[in-house]
Amino acid sequence: MSAPAPAPAPSPAPEAVAVAGRAQQVFPAVLVLALALWITWVSFDVDDPVPYLFPRLVAVIMLALAAVAFVRAVTGGNQTGGGIDLRTLLNVLPGIGLMFLLVFVLADWLGFYTASTAVFLALYAFYDPAPHGAIGTWARRVAVTLGFMAVMYGLFALVLQVQTPRGLLL
Amino acid sequence: MEFLGYFGAVFTPMSMLILCVGTVGGLILGATPGLSPTMAVALLIPFTFHMDPAQGLILLGAAYTSSVAGGAVSAILLNIPGAPANIATSLDGFQMAKKGEAAKALQMGFISSGVGGVFGILVLIFLTPVLAKWALGFGPSHLFWIAILGVTIIGTLDTRSVVKGLLSGCIGLWIATIGYDSIQGVERFIFTDHLEGGVHVIAALIGLFAIPQVVEMLEHGRTPRTVTLMAMEHHSVLDSARQVFAKGRALTIGSIVGTIIGLIPGAGGQIAGIVSYDQTRKFSPNRARFGSGEAEGVVAAETANNAMVGPSLVPLLTLSVPGSPTAAVLLGGLLIHGIFPGPNLFTQHAPVAWTFINSMLVGQILMMVFGLYIARLASRVTLVPQPILAAGILVLAVFGSYSVQSSLSDVFVMLTLGVGMYFLARFGFSAAPMVLGIILGPIAESNYVQGRIIAEAGDGLFAYFCTGTLNLVLIAICAASVIYSVVMEVRTRRLIAQLQKTAQQEAAT
Repeated sequence: MSAPAPAPAPSPAPEAVAVAGRAQQVFPAVLVLALALWITWVSFDVDDPVPYLFPRLVAVIMLALAAVAFVRAVTGGNQTGGGIDLRTLLNVLPGIGLMFLLVFVLADWLGFYTASTAVFLALYAFYDPAPHGAIGTWARRVAVTLGFMAVMYGLFALVLQVQTPRGLLL
Repeated sequence: MEFLGYFGAVFTPMSMLILCVGTVGGLILGATPGLSPTMAVALLIPFTFHMDPAQGLILLGAAYTSSVAGGAVSAILLNIPGAPANIATSLDGFQMAKKGEAAKALQMGFISSGVGGVFGILVLIFLTPVLAKWALGFGPSHLFWIAILGVTIIGTLDTRSVVKGLLSGCIGLWIATIGYDSIQGVERFIFTDHLEGGVHVIAALIGLFAIPQVVEMLEHGRTPRTVTLMAMEHHSVLDSARQVFAKGRALTIGSIVGTIIGLIPGAGGQIAGIVSYDQTRKFSPNRARFGSGEAEGVVAAETANNAMVGPSLVPLLTLSVPGSPTAAVLLGGLLIHGIFPGPNLFTQHAPVAWTFINSMLVGQILMMVFGLYIARLASRVTLVPQPILAAGILVLAVFGSYSVQSSLSDVFVMLTLGVGMYFLARFGFSAAPMVLGIILGPIAESNYVQGRIIAEAGDGLFAYFCTGTLNLVLIAICAASVIYSVVMEVRTRRLIAQLQKTAQQEAAT
């Protein structure tokens, strides 16, 4: 048996690919520094300090580390992570969009199972290398989607009896 | 020998069914490249809600054990390790497969995994109660430092940048404080309605471990990829077993190395497999054949990566410090069943703890038996196209995180954290310290607050938290872990710079 078939390739570790440019290092460092500043500000700008004693401790350490990370990113002293190139970003954005569409819009509106079925099919079809024009391709996609969702329905609705939101449909 | 009294709970029909399902499922998930043991266990946690604690933990333990071993299938047949723990396995395993010895390599891999796994669980059985008894005298200051130690060790070992690793841990500790303060009920960091209930640890676990892998699977877009699945010949299991037990050196080195590395929090199966492989090669008279299909290499790697499983749970069960990302997920599984691992585990929850540990021992044997016979089936799973895997994991993650509290907010949190983690990982941040921060944050905070009250009534904050032998030892370990990692980071950077300089000079000449 030596069957060529589409199969997963290992995702390269961030360090395995080219180290990101300085701008790509500075951008996340700025975001983390801004987050640390915000947490520190909120932790100290309170009337009753008792509930914030531990967050203050965390915020101060985080702020110090974020400042170090920022300085190292600006000076080019700490280049870890492969960053993200435009092509990869364009490849993943539709998928991420579909995920958010499922969770933030469709699940409540159409119902959990219907929305999940639609997004499963959309995600599969969008990233499936097979030609979109062939009827057989679509038949396979629909069959796989319905088969998988039937298993999910059996597991969650019938066995575990999880009540999911019902929208317009199921 | 207290553990012998709890074997009965493992052999009930329901427990055995769960053990078998967990083992087979773990083998298949482990065999699938892109699905890490950590993610497999995280995705299974929601299912354990509907079980009693012991049975829930049996499922998680079985999945953990067998998914590590299952990674050998794709390592041998595809040259793609199912998990980082199987990297060393692919070095000789794939070469054996290319020579027409795929079935033999798989059989030897599973038998070695079983031997190493049983050894590791025996270490867990005999070492855990001793350490737990010693840890019974811990007070709030010690537990606070232990929680910080857990985050520090994982934060400094799991990344090439110590600063980013520790920052990830801090972000996790901060996320743990979101919601209502447990003492006064004061709102903290609630900037959207979805965060009113705080961040549920299971939603965070699923999001941080599953969603980044889903997004990674989409990185190549619609580009078709082809791989060749190696053929599997018919080979006698008995002959493979005979050959494995003839390789006593590899079994011994693998078991010892796996155990030692498993006991070190933060190390993990990847290091265990590689170190064991390297040491066995050094001591082997056949060292020249390593890398070209030497069965001893497969035995060494697979023995070590499963011998690591049991010992990696020792710091978790005795001190609440997970030894690996998967152990961190198991900690989440224990906590949602109201079981707080640590010094009191074997006094307050002895039946659950021993049933869990005993089931892992039985699970190792089941894993070996099932692995030998379903390797052929598991190998087919490696051919499932990435878009189906990605869509399937997404839907499972959505349903799993929803079923925790029947709350859409948990799903929002899960997805947002997961997508955020994907981008952070691209810039060198790591999920494991963040998860540990989320899990250990409440433990650290409650002991910090408790310690403060004691300190204010006594000698003050500094004296309570920073003096005393045990406090100083724990602080020293935290500091040593950071200093060691900083030194290693600097050395690695210098080495890379030197290599780049040499390459440039060679190119110029």
